[in-house]
Amino acid sequence: MLLAAVAALDDDVARVSHELPLRANLSALDNIALIPLYQRHLGAAESARQAMDLLQRLGHAGIAPLRDPDMTPAQRFVTKLARALILKRPRLVIDRPGAMLYDVPYPVFIRRLASHADLAGTWEIYDFSWNQALYTQVHDTE
Amino acid sequence: MHFLAASIESLGAKVTGWFAVAYGMAAFLGRAGRLLLDRATWNRATFDVVVKQVYFTAVQILHVYLGYVLVISWLMVSIILSTARDFGLTEFASEMTIRVLVLELLPFLTALFIALRSGSAINTEVALMQVNNELDALAHCKVPPMQFEFLPRLIGGVISVVTLSGLAGLLALLMGYLAIYGLTPAGFAPYTQTIAKIFDFQIVAGLIAKCALFGLAVTLIPVTAGLETPKKLFMVPVSVLRGMMRVFLAIVAIEVVSLALKYI
Repeated sequence: MLLAAVAALDDDVARVSHELPLRANLSALDNIALIPLYQRHLGAAESARQAMDLLQRLGHAGIAPLRDPDMTPAQRFVTKLARALILKRPRLVIDRPGAMLYDVPYPVFIRRLASHADLAGTWEIYDFSWNQALYTQVHDTE
Repeated sequence: MHFLAASIESLGAKVTGWFAVAYGMAAFLGRAGRLLLDRATWNRATFDVVVKQVYFTAVQILHVYLGYVLVISWLMVSIILSTARDFGLTEFASEMTIRVLVLELLPFLTALFIALRSGSAINTEVALMQVNNELDALAHCKVPPMQFEFLPRLIGGVISVVTLSGLAGLLALLMGYLAIYGLTPAGFAPYTQTIAKIFDFQIVAGLIAKCALFGLAVTLIPVTAGLETPKKLFMVPVSVLRGMMRVFLAIVAIEVVSLALKYI
């Protein structure tokens, strides 16, 4: 699929992309808690609890108080992923992960997060064709 | 001939630009007004952000602001009082103090204070949000930026300017009394009579409306200026510069119209 088409995906898709940043003045927890707060009109405490629960399931509860500039690229990615997961849309698209996860071997990192998350729905990764080999290596090691 | 045509074209472009900016602000205000009247807007989340905005705009700076009002009021009252004494107009000193300080100078300075502190911050933050695609990210997550980011700032600005101007006015009245009559209750009756004479319904309503317009100007203009920013980081300072110039012109225009309505 062309990358431009990723941006035009419909409302059934939750995107994780470097083009969709976090709110810089909010903590990781607040960035995630915004969704239940505004979409499902839950209270602040319940929204924060759901956000924290999700971070814990992803194995990154420690990043909850961090703001965007204080996060590593991997922590920022986890926050974006949690924000996308809490949207509870049927499809989750990770758009060019290499642009966000330049500090870790990202196919392995994403696979590990997916195994932690224990959530329903489909995860799709859109990446440049020349990075195909990275994903093949992951399969080979398994 | 070419120079004349170029000048007319440039003027035309500027006038069209001003109209576009004014239309953009009016449209934004219309949308904000409609949302303000919508019951769905008033959920716990929006209310919490409004409270936060009032805290950051008014409460956080209260001690600095009151100190600043105290100094300005004391200076102005002293100048008015000594000038009135020099011209043998001491009986008008209290009325002049109230009119100059409480009705005109303090609301104007409050608006400038909030514009410099919060207006510039709002302009910068919205411009950065625009440049960094943060608004697109909020839209993708179906978190309405108007309810979450903009409306609370407008409401916070209006509440802050109205309440800070009110507090400043009360402090100035107290300073005026102390400067004119000292620490005796002797002047209480004439002073309160003067206050009652000045503050009829029309004046109070006009003062509140003026402060509310000041509050709107110091928040609405920075927000719309921030939203106009092209998605280029180097345009953020230009956006703030434009926004703050517009805020200054709007504050002066509101003050001039208010003076004209009152005294002409």
